Amino acid sequence: MLSEICEGKSLPQVVKHITQEKINLYAEASGDFNPIHVDESFAAGTPLGGTIAHGMLILAYVSEMMALAFGQSWLSGGRLSARFKTPARPGDTVTVSGKIDSIEYKNGISYANCSLECCNQKEEIIVVGGAVVRIPSSKR
Amino acid sequence: MSEKVRNKAMISYEELIPGYEFPPASYELSASLISKYLEAVDCADELKVFGGFVPPLAIGSYAMAAMAESLSLPPGTIHASQEFEFFKLVPIGATINCQAKVARKLARATMHMLVLELDVLDQNRERVQLGKATIVLPV
Repeated sequence: MLSEICEGKSLPQVVKHITQEKINLYAEASGDFNPIHVDESFAAGTPLGGTIAHGMLILAYVSEMMALAFGQSWLSGGRLSARFKTPARPGDTVTVSGKIDSIEYKNGISYANCSLECCNQKEEIIVVGGAVVRIPSSKR
Repeated sequence: MSEKVRNKAMISYEELIPGYEFPPASYELSASLISKYLEAVDCADELKVFGGFVPPLAIGSYAMAAMAESLSLPPGTIHASQEFEFFKLVPIGATINCQAKVARKLARATMHMLVLELDVLDQNRERVQLGKATIVLPV
C-alpha cells in the first residue's frame, strides 16, 4: 500500500507484456471467446487488422495497481470509470500508471480521486480513466 | 462457469430493447476459478495484491460472461467503456447472483452501440458490485 496518501502522489506502476497466449488464457478464464481476441485469421480481416486483448484484461491490470495502492479499500469501496482508446495487441507492453489528483471529504470520510492511464510501448494511450477510493482510516 | 448459466435461450442484438433484463445467473467463485483468473491476468502475488479475497474485476468478468451466455452478438464486437463500483469484500468460495439489463441501445449508420448495466449481489442479497459496459457492434 502507499505509505502516504496525498495530492499529487503517483500510484505504483504495473507493467505487463501482452502475448496471444495470455489473451487465450484470459479467454479461457473469462469465457469470452469473441474471435476478435482469439481468432487471428478472423481478426486480420477486420478493421483492427489483428487480434486485440480483452478490455477487461487491461482493466484487471488497472485494478491490480489500485489494490496495490489502496489495499482492501479498493476492493470494498472503489469506483472505476475507463474508456478504451486504442486496442492492446499481442507484443505490446502495457504500463498502467496513475496519480492522486485530489482528496475530498464527504460525510466524515476521505476519498482519493485518481487519474489513470494505460499506455503501450509507443506511448499510445490504451485506456484513460479515473477512480475514486475511500482512504483507509490509518492513512488519513 | 457453472452449469446454471449454460443452456439458456439466446437473444440477439436486434431483439434487445432498453429495459430488457437478462435472465439472472448465479455462480460460485470457487478457488479453482479464481486461481485460473489470477493466472490469466498475470498477477504475481495475489495475497499481497488482493489479500485472499476475490479480485473485483474477476467478479465483473464473470458477471459479464454470465450475461453473454444468453446474448448473441456479432463477431468483432468491442468494448468501448466500462464503469464499476465495488461495495464489499468477497471471500473465495462465495456464490454471486448477477442481474443485467439493457440501459441504452443506439443504432447509427456506421455503428451500433449497447449500454448494459450489471448488478451483482451475494448470497445474502447484499450488493457486491455495480457495473456499466458500453459495447460497440460492427454494422
